[in-house]
Amino acid sequence: MSADLLTVEGLSIAYGPTTVVHDVSFSVAKGESLALIGESGSGKSTIAKAVLRLLHHGEATARGRVALNGRDILALPEKQFRPLRGRALGFIPQDPASALNPVRTVGAQAHEAAALLGETDSSVRRTKILDVLEQVGLPDPMRVYDSYPHQLSGGMLQRVLIALTVLPRPSLIVADEPTSALDVTVQKLILDMLTELRQELDISLLLITHDLAIAAERADSLVVLKDGAVQESGSSRVVFASPQTDYARSLQADVPALHPDRYRDQRTAFQSTHDGGSRIGDVSSPSPGLQIDVQEVSKRFSAGGQDVLACDGVSFSVQRGRTHALVGESGSGKTTAVRLLLGLEQPDGGQISVAGQSTSGRSRTEVRDIRRHLQLVYQNPFTSLDPTWRVGRIIREPLDQFGVGTKPERAQRVREALESVGLPADVASRRPAHLSGGQRQRVAIARALVVRPDVVVLDEPTSALDVSVQAGILELLSKLQRELGLTYLFVSHDLALVRQVADTVSVLRKGQVVEDGAVEDIFSRPQHPYTRALLDSIPLATPASALGGLATEAKQLAKATA
Amino acid sequence: MTGDYRRFALTRGGQAIVVVLLTYVFTFLIISVLPGDAITNTLRDPQHGLSEEDIQRIVAFYGLDQPVIVQLLLSLGRFLTGELGFSLQSNLPVSQLVGDALPSTLTLATTALVIAIIFAVAIAYGAQYLPGKWAAVVRSIPSFFLSVPNFVIGLVLIEFFAFRLHSFTTTDPNSPVATLFAAITLAIPVSAPLAEVLIASLDHESRQEYALVARSRGLTEARLFAKHLVKPSALPSVAMVALIVGELLGGSVITETIFGRDGIGTVVQKAVTGEDQPVLQAVVSLSAVVFVAVNLVADLASPLLDPRVKLRETTLKEKVGA
Repeated sequence: MSADLLTVEGLSIAYGPTTVVHDVSFSVAKGESLALIGESGSGKSTIAKAVLRLLHHGEATARGRVALNGRDILALPEKQFRPLRGRALGFIPQDPASALNPVRTVGAQAHEAAALLGETDSSVRRTKILDVLEQVGLPDPMRVYDSYPHQLSGGMLQRVLIALTVLPRPSLIVADEPTSALDVTVQKLILDMLTELRQELDISLLLITHDLAIAAERADSLVVLKDGAVQESGSSRVVFASPQTDYARSLQADVPALHPDRYRDQRTAFQSTHDGGSRIGDVSSPSPGLQIDVQEVSKRFSAGGQDVLACDGVSFSVQRGRTHALVGESGSGKTTAVRLLLGLEQPDGGQISVAGQSTSGRSRTEVRDIRRHLQLVYQNPFTSLDPTWRVGRIIREPLDQFGVGTKPERAQRVREALESVGLPADVASRRPAHLSGGQRQRVAIARALVVRPDVVVLDEPTSALDVSVQAGILELLSKLQRELGLTYLFVSHDLALVRQVADTVSVLRKGQVVEDGAVEDIFSRPQHPYTRALLDSIPLATPASALGGLATEAKQLAKATA
Repeated sequence: MTGDYRRFALTRGGQAIVVVLLTYVFTFLIISVLPGDAITNTLRDPQHGLSEEDIQRIVAFYGLDQPVIVQLLLSLGRFLTGELGFSLQSNLPVSQLVGDALPSTLTLATTALVIAIIFAVAIAYGAQYLPGKWAAVVRSIPSFFLSVPNFVIGLVLIEFFAFRLHSFTTTDPNSPVATLFAAITLAIPVSAPLAEVLIASLDHESRQEYALVARSRGLTEARLFAKHLVKPSALPSVAMVALIVGELLGGSVITETIFGRDGIGTVVQKAVTGEDQPVLQAVVSLSAVVFVAVNLVADLASPLLDPRVKLRETTLKEKVGA
């Protein structure tokens, strides 16, 4: 047995009079990995910052003991702690796009990390930097070295940050949501690379994440946090297979990857009563109930002499009362497809019909009338609601816009919309700042529903929310679809989620549909290599073996338990 | 980058020239719209004792017997060739009047700008790194600086340093020490907005994740400040400095009067009271040129300070929304 590298005992952290972390204890053995999991506000990032001593001075106070190799680092004066920074304790932050100074080159910042090796000759440092950039899988280290952060992609930046962190060979890396800002396929590559580097260099990992599936796959042991207190802890395998506390159980139940059929039964029941039990996702048979029909739509953008075909002959259609998903990573053209459908951009070619009416060759007002049946729920409820407006006015806005009904009628519609999304009527008089993320997204859904649309476009409707909140929103959407017969176009990068909510799916890549069909078919028999790569990147949802290299066994285990 | 930068620099330079010309035209029109014919009124003032012949010559020179639009074109043509005309009060060439006063004002304004920047950086650094209570005190300095009128500061400094401590004498306003105190007077109110902008951007930058990450690499606070925070925080301040230069030129009138210095301020004051149109026109144009030039420099510097500053309208990446 190896000795404990990091020991946290009775750690409590307070911001002024408010204690946000209560008496937390855990330990990380040498070479091992531990995941702190919890939702926003659980205190997991605060603990990470306390371990790194990066809490803001005078704002937060930490009590308890944080020992690195038996030495209490909370009690050390800054001067004695500084030599440990980078050399013993590395830090990989959440958002790679903001973690490097935007006005300095990658190379200049890398020299700071290389300086921790005690190397004074800058050309030797440069060689070491180029070596480590290559080691993390960056194809052209020289170019990266001379680049400014904004010239690199998110995945490349996170590789750079990992390279800078491992360069001084720390014994422990604290990684705060290292992949949550990245595309799924990139996420998997980065996590694989990190695992490999850790094993090669014998580095321990303290992983902070909200994603139980990632934690279970990548960590030897888990600590489940809620409201700053430990709910449950132990080996990932045990906690994951048989969670003991209610909270851990609900967290586990809300992970989409583990429960692909969660909403399926409800949907199937609804569809069999509504269309006589026709096969789910049968898009090939011509149907009068085609709500959205997009045929061979193209859109080209050009700027600065460069041309990009954002949509290259994209076709898809959605039947009444069904959910169709557009899946793809950033730059795949899914956003452009939605913008074309909503009329925010004009297509260069192709046909778009909504509820059987073609939108091309019609006047602006006619198109506006058609599009009234088409409403959008935007990705981020923290930015999509005007913070200076009250909720009642936000929801009423589309009614005012289209001049629907009299004043009391509009007020009545607002009340109904609030009720249908499960919010109390008094929310109408509040402003968005006083609502939680889940409540805000409910407001956004109410705003979409108030004009009684037939089709709702859901653009990553839960990606800014915690998993338990996400589950609530998905349940609501599923209920509304059942009650109102809504048609959904669901845009997402999260395949596990798509599997739960959608009937049919189109996989987009570089502006083209590479594969489409019924969700079950695509998930069980993916044809295109890109679809397979996407499916592979869903975290396995089964604990990694502490011995490592037993991924196949883990996969089988996953199939057996699923 | 370089081709883009050249295009950017040329566009901005062209815009600057247009702004200067428009300012000239605007000033000219304002003055000619004002009631009374300033030039002929002054010329016919018996005090000047000009003969009818002299008057006719001057009238012909300025084209005063022609329509306003012709006068404007004549005036603009002279301006473009560097010919500024003659003062109506002293009959001296305007270029000589301005040229005599300019060095004094430039010395004052430049010294004041340097002092203002030093004050602002010191205040911002203190606000960031002094222990809690002191930082709060330092943070209140800019609003204090702003609320004390310029002339009060000047009078207090003269009273204290000239009359009590005899650091300088008011009879020799152009001595280095006297210039220094005049510059401090001018710098104090001007440093306040600059300090506020710097404090705000340092607050913002020091809370960015990259600052946290740099700290986790074991950088000392001083190194973090010098290597990481100064440059991005300087960006909004550079634009601010460009605006301040305008204020230094305008604000110098009061300071020059208090300290008894002969500078552009004095020239303007005399020109306004004497309705000396050519002088006014020249000073306003000069201010516009300086102001536009400084802002042009600030504009051209920002892409060099921040590689993210866009030289073109939109990038392809933004259009696609990736």
